[in-house]
Amino acid sequence: MIEVNNISKAFAGNQVLKNINVSFFPGKVNFIIGRSGSGKSVLTKCIVGLMEVDQGEIVFDKRNFTKLDRWDRKDIRQEMGMLFQGSALFSSLTVEENVLFPLQMFSKMSKSEMMDRVNFCLKRVNLEGKNHLYPSELSGGMQKRTGIARAIAMNPKYLFCDEPNSGLDPQTSIVIDNLIKEITYEFGSTTVVVSHDMNSVIEIGDHINFIYQGELWWKGDKRDILHTNNQELNDFVFPSKFMKEIRENLRG
Amino acid sequence: MTSVYFNIGKYCILLSNVFTKPERRSLYRKLIVQEIDKIGLQSLGIVGLLSLFMGAVVTLQTAANIDSGWIPRWTIGFTTRQTMILEFSSTIVCLILSGKVGGNIASEIGTMRITEQIDAMEIMGINSASYLILPKIIAAMFIFPFLVVISMFLGIAAGALVGQSSGVISMTDYEYGLQYFFELFQVSYTLIKTVVFAFIITSVSAYHGFYTHGGPREVGASSTRAVVYSMVLILIANYVITQLLLL
Repeated sequence: MIEVNNISKAFAGNQVLKNINVSFFPGKVNFIIGRSGSGKSVLTKCIVGLMEVDQGEIVFDKRNFTKLDRWDRKDIRQEMGMLFQGSALFSSLTVEENVLFPLQMFSKMSKSEMMDRVNFCLKRVNLEGKNHLYPSELSGGMQKRTGIARAIAMNPKYLFCDEPNSGLDPQTSIVIDNLIKEITYEFGSTTVVVSHDMNSVIEIGDHINFIYQGELWWKGDKRDILHTNNQELNDFVFPSKFMKEIRENLRG
Repeated sequence: MTSVYFNIGKYCILLSNVFTKPERRSLYRKLIVQEIDKIGLQSLGIVGLLSLFMGAVVTLQTAANIDSGWIPRWTIGFTTRQTMILEFSSTIVCLILSGKVGGNIASEIGTMRITEQIDAMEIMGINSASYLILPKIIAAMFIFPFLVVISMFLGIAAGALVGQSSGVISMTDYEYGLQYFFELFQVSYTLIKTVVFAFIITSVSAYHGFYTHGGPREVGASSTRAVVYSMVLILIANYVITQLLLL
């Protein structure tokens, strides 16, 4: 479980996150949603330690991440996997080498065990036989799947996905969404997905946290979204007249 | 001025992260070998070509400027040797390498930064500064002296060849000039300079690449800054080392 307690973050006097309190649960797909510029990516970067918070604390299973120094954070970081918006695959390495990379750095496995793990991860994301291709030779969806394979290589307790569907067509998006959901349930990982894609939220979201102007504005599950009277959330989820009509029909 | 101190501080912090205990020594060894090939062996062509022509030109220019019968012909060999050993093969070659190698390092690391590849490493718990920069620094400090020695030999050999073929100096005079008042310490001085320059080129370029923010345009800007700052620092270091070691 990840607990975010009262965190704030400002850039040059501009308050981006304001006293955010939120929990992310194990074995569930936890969403952070919000408009562009609402602070959801900054929140994720603070949680994974790519940015330092100005105040508050982030606790990973009773381990206070914010109080640890760079070297002590290493243990928790090795329990994290992250899928980046642009995949962030190492462009000079093949698909196989990308997935192998964290194993080579940290695992105590033998070479053959590592290769077995790589092949298992690639099979899990339906990329068997693509071992020797370079990221530039892959489609957007395949790059995302390689990113997922790399993220799960170390069997992470915490899986972070930053805009996993950006730049993908709706059908490929569903494939990626289902993969994230299956992996979360299969490995029992605490999964945090940052997105503004409502299809994904409705498809795989277990717990949803809505960030508005740097504050946690609303939280609940996907069914609650249909019935909430929170104006800002309704404007975000049902922005058009057509979507508002759909909501009324569903409510009715 | 505050910005200068800020950047020096940031550079020192980066170096303190670079020179930490590597996660997997065996992986680093492999990376160092790859970098030796990329930084050193792939620069052999340009270094060789420049040295050949520079040695030849120094010989011809010296010959063209010795009109007086009071100045012996062997001065041509002596001047070529001194020029190649003391300045060209170390300083000028390193200035050129700062453009080729430094620009390459800054753009490679800068691209990794803007495409979040460095963030991906950090999240895995890898010391990205050490993993990306340390092998480059070690490789350059190891291979640059070899490039410089090759440059010296090629320049001096080209001078001999051109001097003889154009008839401006005989081989005996050239050889005499080469050996005249030769001090082995001058070669040591040049190699010491080269190792310092190698450190400057790789660390300064890596620093500019590592702290790139934005997009491709900023990568280009970082690359340019890396080359300019490396060159300026090489020239300053050249002066300081010469003052310390030769006088």
